[in-house]
Amino acid sequence: LSSVPLQILFYVNGIYYIFYFLATLAMIVYKSQVFSYPDDFLAPDLALLFIMAILEVLRLYLGSKGNLTEEEAPLGLSLVITVGSVILSVYFLVWQTYVLKADVIINAVLLFTYGLESVLQVIAIAAFV
Amino acid sequence: VAKLCVCDLLVAQCDVNCCCDPDCSAADFSLFTTCSVPIVTGDSRLCSQKAAIYSLDVEANPPERIFKLIDQVNPSVFCIHATNYKQALSFSSPEMPTSENFDQLLKQFGSASFSAEPDNWNMNTDAQNPSDVNETYRYKYGVPIQTVDAFLRLPSPVVSSWCSDANPAGFLVNQATKCIRSVSVEKCGNIQAVSMLFYINSSILAVPKSSQMVNITVQSIVVQSLNGMRTSLNGSDVLRLPMILDELCINIVLGVSYHITYTDAGEIIEAAASFVLGAINKEALPIQQSFEISFTQVHTKPVPLSGNPGYVVGLPIRAGFRPQGYPFPNTNKYSQLTILQSTSNQDCLAAQGARTPILFGYNMISGCKLRITAAMKCQPLTQTLLDLLKGQSFPEYVASFGNSQAQDVLDWVPITHLHTSEQSDNERIYNTFQGSCQIPVALEIEVKWTKYGSLVNPQARIVNVTATITTTTLKQLPSGRERTIPITSSVVFTDTSSPAEPGYKAWPTINAKLPFDFFFPFV
Repeated sequence: LSSVPLQILFYVNGIYYIFYFLATLAMIVYKSQVFSYPDDFLAPDLALLFIMAILEVLRLYLGSKGNLTEEEAPLGLSLVITVGSVILSVYFLVWQTYVLKADVIINAVLLFTYGLESVLQVIAIAAFV
Repeated sequence: VAKLCVCDLLVAQCDVNCCCDPDCSAADFSLFTTCSVPIVTGDSRLCSQKAAIYSLDVEANPPERIFKLIDQVNPSVFCIHATNYKQALSFSSPEMPTSENFDQLLKQFGSASFSAEPDNWNMNTDAQNPSDVNETYRYKYGVPIQTVDAFLRLPSPVVSSWCSDANPAGFLVNQATKCIRSVSVEKCGNIQAVSMLFYINSSILAVPKSSQMVNITVQSIVVQSLNGMRTSLNGSDVLRLPMILDELCINIVLGVSYHITYTDAGEIIEAAASFVLGAINKEALPIQQSFEISFTQVHTKPVPLSGNPGYVVGLPIRAGFRPQGYPFPNTNKYSQLTILQSTSNQDCLAAQGARTPILFGYNMISGCKLRITAAMKCQPLTQTLLDLLKGQSFPEYVASFGNSQAQDVLDWVPITHLHTSEQSDNERIYNTFQGSCQIPVALEIEVKWTKYGSLVNPQARIVNVTATITTTTLKQLPSGRERTIPITSSVVFTDTSSPAEPGYKAWPTINAKLPFDFFFPFV
């Protein structure tokens, strides 16, 4: 049986991620205007943000598909991608060029969501196997 | 942060009112009135930073300094929590130029004032020539006049009074300059700038970048002797070069006056130079040279305009007469509106004839004192004073624009004459009954002008000129006594321009017409 909390979490994660992506992009633009943000530091931050967006889409799609079709393979792949997303989120939390307090807040919420999702995914895989 | 102190300027000494100065002792602190630097913090955009607060506790006796080290928190949600970019919050130190990066830095930061080689000068002239072959050039105002080798030179003082030969003469720019040059008698033949040849040997190009040349002809030569006396020479074709004669060096150029004739197409067709040659001996060094250049348009008589078209402040007002006759004849004698010029001895009868032209925009007042003795008769005195105040030929018409031509009669404003008296009317009637004398004592010329034309560039135009003569009664003096009365003449310029009215476009109208055959069956 598909896990309903996991599905709810995926749905909420999707909406939250859209907000997160727009907020981070806006804050990078703000930082580049207000602070001195040379191009060699701006390019990696923007690139990683877009990579994270792509990974997130893939992750949510695979996870949702695996949960609804009760297959463990997509769910497992989604779990692996989640690890990558966690690393990127930690980058935006700690290793970004300028870390504002707002960055800390939204990244913390995202990490918490990822953690919860990982636990539920592991439980779901265990149930499907 | 606790160790930073901006006001600590004196080393090993206590700075006044500097609470963070480590050289100050508690006794010094008790003498301060305030703290010039109350707080020292790091960048305030950080979320939390250390701050050192200095204050004076004036209630304690003696006053003491309070030093607190606290953590200041930035409440904004966009405060910087951390940065991974070391130079983020401090000024960047510029790159030190070394032999490797010098060329790159020069290209990046060099500009016209500091560049490697002015090779862009050569590139420009090569690039222009092939493409602009078909364009016809002509001289425009201010463009340097070109000669065969370089430019027509008008030596002038640059920075100091010494002559600099690199000053080009600009087209249509009338200039007169004076500068000094050092010349030695032994080498006077070798110095180019004092010989006539230097000023006339290169021909002027008729149009820029062409091959038509105009030779500079020598119009006249005036020879100035050592004591300053000038004589004009008859044969002005001979070129007189400097030569040494009896310990004097003669034929030194002391002044050149160029007269250039041009067409209205911007071409120069004639050039003439008038020279003043002089002689120097050992005592007369250095010499002063004066240079002048003036431009005349071909087929015109040079009439000095006082503005084009509006009057320019400082230029004389043009006035004239209209000879009797109808219809208006075409010639007006150009004369100037003048007023009496005050002299140093202030005696009206002694300084007859000194007059100064009235300049537009400059209010003037002048006068003199008239000593009246008992022996003076009324009528001759009145006539003398009128001549004194008005001058020999007081004009009848004043040009309303600075460039009014004689043929345009509507451009000339007649001068209105008024008479007033110093005493009240009753007194005047009483005095005329007595048969006493009215002598003019003051002339006031009031010139009313207005701004004419566009708002951006208004031109001054004279609309009304009124000359008011004020008379007073001359009382008969007992014989032997004399009286002094002041005679004044003044000019006042009044601006009578009406305030500018904005002009608006007309409202758009609906232009609706019915078609021709709208009422077809009935029309």
